[in-house]
Amino acid sequence: MNRSDLISLLPEMILSGAAIVILLLDAIAPKLRRSFLALAILATGAATWGAWVAWSRVPGGFGAAALSWNGLLETSGVTYALSLVILLATGLCLLASQGYLWREGILTGEYHALLLWCATGLLLMLRGTELLTIFLALELFSFCLYSLAAYHRRIAVASEAAIKYFLMGAFVSSFILYGLALTYGATGTTRLAEVAAKLAASEQVPVLASLGLLLLVAGFAFKMSIVPFHAWSPDTYQGAPSPFVAFLSVAPKVASALVLFRLLEAVVQGGSAVTVHKWSVIVATLAVLSMLVGNFLALAQRDIKRMLAYSGIAHMGYLLLALVVLDRGSLLPVIVYLLAYVLMNAGAFTVVSMLYGKPGEQHLISDLSGYGYRYPLLGACLGICMLSLAGIPPTVGFIGKYLVFLNAVGDGLVGLAVLGVMASLVGVFYYLRILYVLYMKAEEKQPEGLLLDVWGRTAAVVAALGTLALGIWPTGLLQWLLEATTAK
Amino acid sequence: METFLELLTGNTLTRLVFFPALACLPLLFFSKSGEAKGAKIYALVASLIELAFGLQFLAAHLASDGTFPLVRDGKLPWIPTYGIHYDLAMDGISMPLAILGIFLVPIVLLGSWKGIAKSWPAFGASMLMLTTGVLGALFAYDLFLFYIFWEVMLIPMYLLIGVWGGERRIYAAVKFFLYTMAGSLLMLIAILWMGWTLRALNGGVWSFAYEDMLRLDFPVHQQLWLFAAFALTFAIKVPMFPFHTWLPDAHVEAPTGGSVILAGILLKLGTYGFLRFALPLFPKAAEEAQPVLVGLALIGIVYGALVAWVQEDMKKLVAYSSIAHLGFVMLGLLAIDQIAWEGALLQMVNHGLSTGALFLLVGMLYDRRHTKKFSEFGGLAAVIPVFAFFLIFSTLASVGLPALNGFVGEFLILAGTYRALGWPAVVATSGVVLAAIYLLKMVQLTLWGPITKEENRNLPDLSLRELAALVPLCVFMLWIGVAPEAFLKPSRAALDSTLTAYRAAVERPAVAEATLRPAEATLRPAPDQLSRQEEGR
Repeated sequence: MNRSDLISLLPEMILSGAAIVILLLDAIAPKLRRSFLALAILATGAATWGAWVAWSRVPGGFGAAALSWNGLLETSGVTYALSLVILLATGLCLLASQGYLWREGILTGEYHALLLWCATGLLLMLRGTELLTIFLALELFSFCLYSLAAYHRRIAVASEAAIKYFLMGAFVSSFILYGLALTYGATGTTRLAEVAAKLAASEQVPVLASLGLLLLVAGFAFKMSIVPFHAWSPDTYQGAPSPFVAFLSVAPKVASALVLFRLLEAVVQGGSAVTVHKWSVIVATLAVLSMLVGNFLALAQRDIKRMLAYSGIAHMGYLLLALVVLDRGSLLPVIVYLLAYVLMNAGAFTVVSMLYGKPGEQHLISDLSGYGYRYPLLGACLGICMLSLAGIPPTVGFIGKYLVFLNAVGDGLVGLAVLGVMASLVGVFYYLRILYVLYMKAEEKQPEGLLLDVWGRTAAVVAALGTLALGIWPTGLLQWLLEATTAK
Repeated sequence: METFLELLTGNTLTRLVFFPALACLPLLFFSKSGEAKGAKIYALVASLIELAFGLQFLAAHLASDGTFPLVRDGKLPWIPTYGIHYDLAMDGISMPLAILGIFLVPIVLLGSWKGIAKSWPAFGASMLMLTTGVLGALFAYDLFLFYIFWEVMLIPMYLLIGVWGGERRIYAAVKFFLYTMAGSLLMLIAILWMGWTLRALNGGVWSFAYEDMLRLDFPVHQQLWLFAAFALTFAIKVPMFPFHTWLPDAHVEAPTGGSVILAGILLKLGTYGFLRFALPLFPKAAEEAQPVLVGLALIGIVYGALVAWVQEDMKKLVAYSSIAHLGFVMLGLLAIDQIAWEGALLQMVNHGLSTGALFLLVGMLYDRRHTKKFSEFGGLAAVIPVFAFFLIFSTLASVGLPALNGFVGEFLILAGTYRALGWPAVVATSGVVLAAIYLLKMVQLTLWGPITKEENRNLPDLSLRELAALVPLCVFMLWIGVAPEAFLKPSRAALDSTLTAYRAAVERPAVAEATLRPAEATLRPAPDQLSRQEEGR
């Protein structure tokens, strides 16, 4: 351990340190609870700075990657970009949560602490280049997620959601651990780079390694809620506290997507044509299933949180399109898509958490009837997020879809791209339904017990404006990402 | 190179496109109730300023001999990572449509003064955003930019139908949206494919520029796929038979203003798309598909007319007549003939004027009686003579009475089609006859005969505001009818060069795989020879 190792770990240290401080303060000075938000936001901001410091120390500038902690953690433009995306999701979730926690009378330090630890785990996982590190980071953030899902313990659905999530998650953890063991058994190493080298050197991929990697991919597909590993997400989203779902529905997917990329890269790099083809068929199947199942089931939902859960499944399907033919060029669309997904989905859940006053009940879409006029600002934010989710310009959701489909067409997957756009047409239908109830239906229900606090509104506006701004002016972002992802 | 801000403040296309969008912003601060009047006046003033900008732009570039050159704004990099540029241009093809669009907005706002009962600020904002989308799509010289504007048009129109529409407005709005989106998403895939092909042939440099795309030669089987994607998009928008089913729903449910703008300018983007993109980009495929498309256009003419004939609702009748009229425009475009093209372009404008006026009149009647059924009317000529005059005038223009605008367009289309294709012109002529039957039926059932309903006896005649909306339309109907040359001339050169390029491309031997012709081989003037935008600076 030397100084540069410590610096590379700066964002994680800031986040977990702040979480400990908050937890201590909660015990010592419970009266300060209302200001934990400021502290946590400050920590997120500081972690952003920390991530920048860690990245700026990487020799070789853009696109270069540095390994620290004995080669266990990677610091590069890609991990930096995705770290920022995760921190953005953390910040939005923190802002969105304050009003909800206050309204429900459950504002305590544990919430903020758990969320910050969650972010720590995610940052570690996406930087991990070694399977055990990845697994430990995964467990770190998973435990925080389970606890947070059950955070509103007075309502039954929250406990139910958390139990479901926990049982499935624990099951999948064993998948990952088993896959890890098999991979280690086949290749004698847990470092992904060495696994890749071993696989490339052997003429045929050993069955054990294939099976192990398959289990690993399944595990991360679970975290990304990809069909057929998606069953937990609608139930969990429905029961978990809405502002926390703004985090749960985006951040783990961001980190898992990069790990998935690394896993596939390890097996595809230097692999024979047969291997490459086999894996691309697997990914393509997952993508198609997710797009179709997600969109068609979302169509049938009456609960907005369940609808967004299924739409999230579909979005991960689009994302996978970029990974069907795997090369460095796949990273740019993936990162942009994830950023877009964080902005629009977190924005949508933020508004949902504010406009539904009874967390224990169903969040019926029709309850929003006419709210576009009662709450012009929040209605507009939700509307913009919906348009972005539907992939309609000028929003960042369109830019993301454009890049994913551009990549797919460039890889010669025109059929898949056409299937993708047709699936997204189905999506347009249910996203438009939100606009319809917001603006075209007469108000049915008097709102009760809502708390529209300034922080929540800030989060919604930041998400909506970000969605629009990056949709209209993606120039700098794309240029930066291109340099960060291509050069090596 | 100019910056975007410099373009925005000069007498440029950028100002024309983005002024309405910027003018929307203050409307957000009009409270939802109580300030309808302020919002109305504000939106009207904004649209009139936009009209003044349009005329100023026209005055600056319309040559003294009546021709209109290709005018471009400076090309700005937008997403250079993917070779996407902000690139606007106006030529003789887009000019009449753009001016028509700008001209219709204040008229629509005047026509909606009373009919729109709720949230006027949002209505005004939707109208203005729609203007931005339409003008952007007309001027875009980069396929990516075109796609963006094409989609931007959707949301305001969705809101116009869905928020202010009739009883089945939601069904109509969603149908409109999904139909249009279905086509455009396939077009997006086609654009992406062309982008990759161009990049591969262009030494790895991305470009989505229209001029570069024109240099691409695809083998016929690929052209057919690409053409299919583009043609489907535009055919849905036009709409051509059998993709027309969204249109009657949208028209009937939309508020008057929405119908006028839909018929007046939105549908024209479909025909414009054929003329600007589908035909010039994939000439060989267009040549192959011509018989099918001509057949569909003919079916549209006859079918639209027959269905219009049996309608019992005024607005539905006008809506179906749109299908027939746009069938004429499509026929003219597919004839691939200079005269037919000139007629088709003029007919796009004519249809905007006369059908726009008809929709306004239906809306005015609806404001008074809250019904559009023929059975509720009869004998109105005696009660509201001024209204009757305008209805008859617009109907005759729509029917194609000589000395009014419709005649010129239809005559040129039929003459050109006969020269190029022969018998389809004969079939199409039956459409003219049918148009006379159903439109005169409308006049007869509403205006003539005894007054059958007591409520109709005391209807007020047109107000000054309503006259202000109708008179400009009728002035242009007459003007185009008696002096069409002034309206044909600006477009002639642009149509001619497009046609020449198209014919040359059809003659060129088929390629086995996609190739990129060198820049100087194009028949369009190279970018540096184009008259660049200098005014206002």
